[in-house]
Amino acid sequence: MTRSALTDEELIAYFEDALSSERRAEIEARLVSDPEAQAKLADWARQNADIQALFIETLDEPVPEHLRAVLHQAPAPRRVPGLFQIAASLAILAVGATGGWVSHANLATPAAPVLLAQAAIDAHDTYAVEVVHPVEVPASERAHMDTWMTKRMGTQMRPPDLSASGFSLMGGRILPSAQGPAGLYMYENEDGKRITLYISRQDTGGDSAFQYTGSGPTQSLYWQDDGLGYAVVGDMPRARLKDLAKRTYDQLL
Amino acid sequence: MNVLNEIEALIPDLRRYACALTRDRDAGDDLVQDCLERALAHHRSRRPDGPLRAWMFRILINRHRDLIRRAPRAGHLVAVDDLPVEPGRPAGQDSYMALRETEAAIARLPEDQRRALLLVALQGATFDEAAQALDIPRGTLMSRLARARATLRTMTGRDGTRPVSARPIDKSKDPSP
Repeated sequence: MTRSALTDEELIAYFEDALSSERRAEIEARLVSDPEAQAKLADWARQNADIQALFIETLDEPVPEHLRAVLHQAPAPRRVPGLFQIAASLAILAVGATGGWVSHANLATPAAPVLLAQAAIDAHDTYAVEVVHPVEVPASERAHMDTWMTKRMGTQMRPPDLSASGFSLMGGRILPSAQGPAGLYMYENEDGKRITLYISRQDTGGDSAFQYTGSGPTQSLYWQDDGLGYAVVGDMPRARLKDLAKRTYDQLL
Repeated sequence: MNVLNEIEALIPDLRRYACALTRDRDAGDDLVQDCLERALAHHRSRRPDGPLRAWMFRILINRHRDLIRRAPRAGHLVAVDDLPVEPGRPAGQDSYMALRETEAAIARLPEDQRRALLLVALQGATFDEAAQALDIPRGTLMSRLARARATLRTMTGRDGTRPVSARPIDKSKDPSP
């Protein structure tokens, strides 16, 4: 039998009761001669007790009526945000508008597609967190949205159907960009994960293959096709993003 | 039981987890409200295979990720001295201090470690439930939990070294994806 010290991973699996009975017996046998591991287990149990004690009150409180109301589809009286929160969200919009879109023109000329991808990420980070107004026109007014966005963009605008990947269209909006109006579609899956598709004019560079960029958790996959630049943006592994981009690309052909 | 009633029955658990994640009662309740609204919008199209509880926590966690992106560092800049001290806890002085130390340490864990630790330690989620709620593989969950517990142990000085709780955690060293 091995007498090597137990690793934290082994101990975690043991502690969380995630082992087969065979593995469990083996770990228990090794624990006997591993006082360091025993001390860890004792402390982890104490961590759990502390954590339970710290957050016990919320469990015993009555559920606030406005939360219950959400489920019963009564118009939920949302807690009115304080002045600070309003100021903060305005500040975010201002940063998005100046820091994100305008100042790019002053930077030492990154390639146009990179600018597009960055604008798409900024737009995603600004609007995906929105609760009340994530989109300007909801998907329920689809015909109106298509007419309006087509007119503003000066090219046929029809959002792709991504339901095969589990994402349903929430709606769209028009945004300012260095190339004139840009379109943004937002989708959400059943887990509440949101992705956006950003489309703007892209006169330089011709067609291009899929390219990635990302800042932090938000990843963007972008490409150019027939005078338009496209970016699919989301906080998810690249393979899933690529699947969504491919579906988008196939439908836009 | 009606799925909406099942969801309603989960509200106390969701609130406790949200308040622990955000360390703010109002922010926690706002998070739960967003989560409930999304659940309401999607529950009819939900795949029937997964457990409802993991699904609800997954929505809550996704929403929390969105919020953290909006204020990316808020969770890592809480000075120990600024943590709210609630008077009148029914506990002796020593255990009260120990609790405060643990609370301060949890507050400074990297976000994804805190989410994982609170799921199992606070909510009592099993390994598989937590992995489903966080949408990560078991191995990733295991290493996140190991790191969270080791950090907590160091910060509360229970690993035999001196507590280092006065020093902020450098988020850039967290190797999570």
